[in-house]
Amino acid sequence: MIDFHTHPVLVREMVEKYKELERVIREVFFIGNRLQPLETFHLQMDVAGIEKAVLLPIDCSTSKGCKIFSNEQITELCRMSKRFIGFASVDPHRADALPELERAVRELGLRGLKLSPPTQEFYPNDARLAYPLYEKAAELGIPILFHAGMSWEPQAKAKYGQPLYLEDVASDFPYLKIVIAHFAWPWVVEAAMLALKYPNVYIDTSSLYFDNPLDFLAYVMKEEIPLSLIERGLREKVLFGSNYPRVEIKKMAEAVRGLGLTEGCLRLIFKDNALRLLGEVEA
Amino acid sequence: MKIKLEKLEIQSRKGKELIDLTPDVERVVEESGVKEGLVTVLTMHTSSGIIVTEGLPCLEMDVLNHLDKLAPDQGNYYHNRYLAIDGRLGFNAGAHLRSIIGGIQVSFPIHEGQIVKGSRQRIYFAEYDGPLSRLCCIQVMGE
Repeated sequence: MIDFHTHPVLVREMVEKYKELERVIREVFFIGNRLQPLETFHLQMDVAGIEKAVLLPIDCSTSKGCKIFSNEQITELCRMSKRFIGFASVDPHRADALPELERAVRELGLRGLKLSPPTQEFYPNDARLAYPLYEKAAELGIPILFHAGMSWEPQAKAKYGQPLYLEDVASDFPYLKIVIAHFAWPWVVEAAMLALKYPNVYIDTSSLYFDNPLDFLAYVMKEEIPLSLIERGLREKVLFGSNYPRVEIKKMAEAVRGLGLTEGCLRLIFKDNALRLLGEVEA
Repeated sequence: MKIKLEKLEIQSRKGKELIDLTPDVERVVEESGVKEGLVTVLTMHTSSGIIVTEGLPCLEMDVLNHLDKLAPDQGNYYHNRYLAIDGRLGFNAGAHLRSIIGGIQVSFPIHEGQIVKGSRQRIYFAEYDGPLSRLCCIQVMGE
């Protein structure tokens, strides 16, 4: 079982070691909860039945003057726990984005790229700015997870998170694996359309904007789109993601398990699709 | 008068569980040197509690199950909304309500350097929204 969407922003060992992270997680990532020992992260995974978690940083050096965890810090965490799968982040505005991505993957061993267009302030279909990065990711054989839809970060505009911008990317880079995070809420239907049409587009479940995980996911996956679309058409395109620590892993897992999907479909969502995307099993 | 305060970090390991704090409270009382006085145990979180019951696993389960019935996780709660102070949604009103119902602190007299309590009574930290690292406060006052 894999959680494809977590942020290590409250890991006490890291925030106490790298003092600048305290301001970054409070003011830029915008989370107010207490720091927790790394052990809590593992226990959150344990009670949810999750074996591994993808750790996501955001390099917003140009737009926000900081990194919400650096590639080195993600690597450090991955060395502390074999249960973590580290993704890189690079700032598309920076001239060194390409060599930094190559270094993060080839030297640090990171397994994917996280981009957050609302945080980093770029349109995903900005060919001049972002296409070289997509070419590099495709060359390296890594997936890109895009924040899509609304962001709780105060300075992150939803206009950059409209998933339809990703259609150009999906179409122009057919060999690039793309994950649309948060079901792109409020553009759920658009995200589902992209995942339905493009073989290289996936969606993660890390979506919670009102009510609670159970009710919200039921609304998204049973009312905004029919559950049968997940069960039949998108069963190989949806990944379990919690968005921990904005949502507890076990609560999001309970919500996904409570939707009424078959065991076979749940196995794909919780494990097989992620393994395929990470290249651990054949496509 | 002597006053000793200790903040105890507790790592809960489950979503809901009772963690026996009695040995920690006894240790703090002993270390305080207070012979006649009062010890108070207080959780510092609004989704956890401090309760006293008999130290039996069956009772621990019954207490948690009963509190769950009174204040379940799923409910039509106003707290199910975005909280700017946290940068995330609440949706743990059940845990907050269980904390209120079960209580957040207990006090026991100290006599001749010992906690005055029934032989079956145990002092528990009650986790209602774990697993989390938590803080509880043990304060001893007296002579």
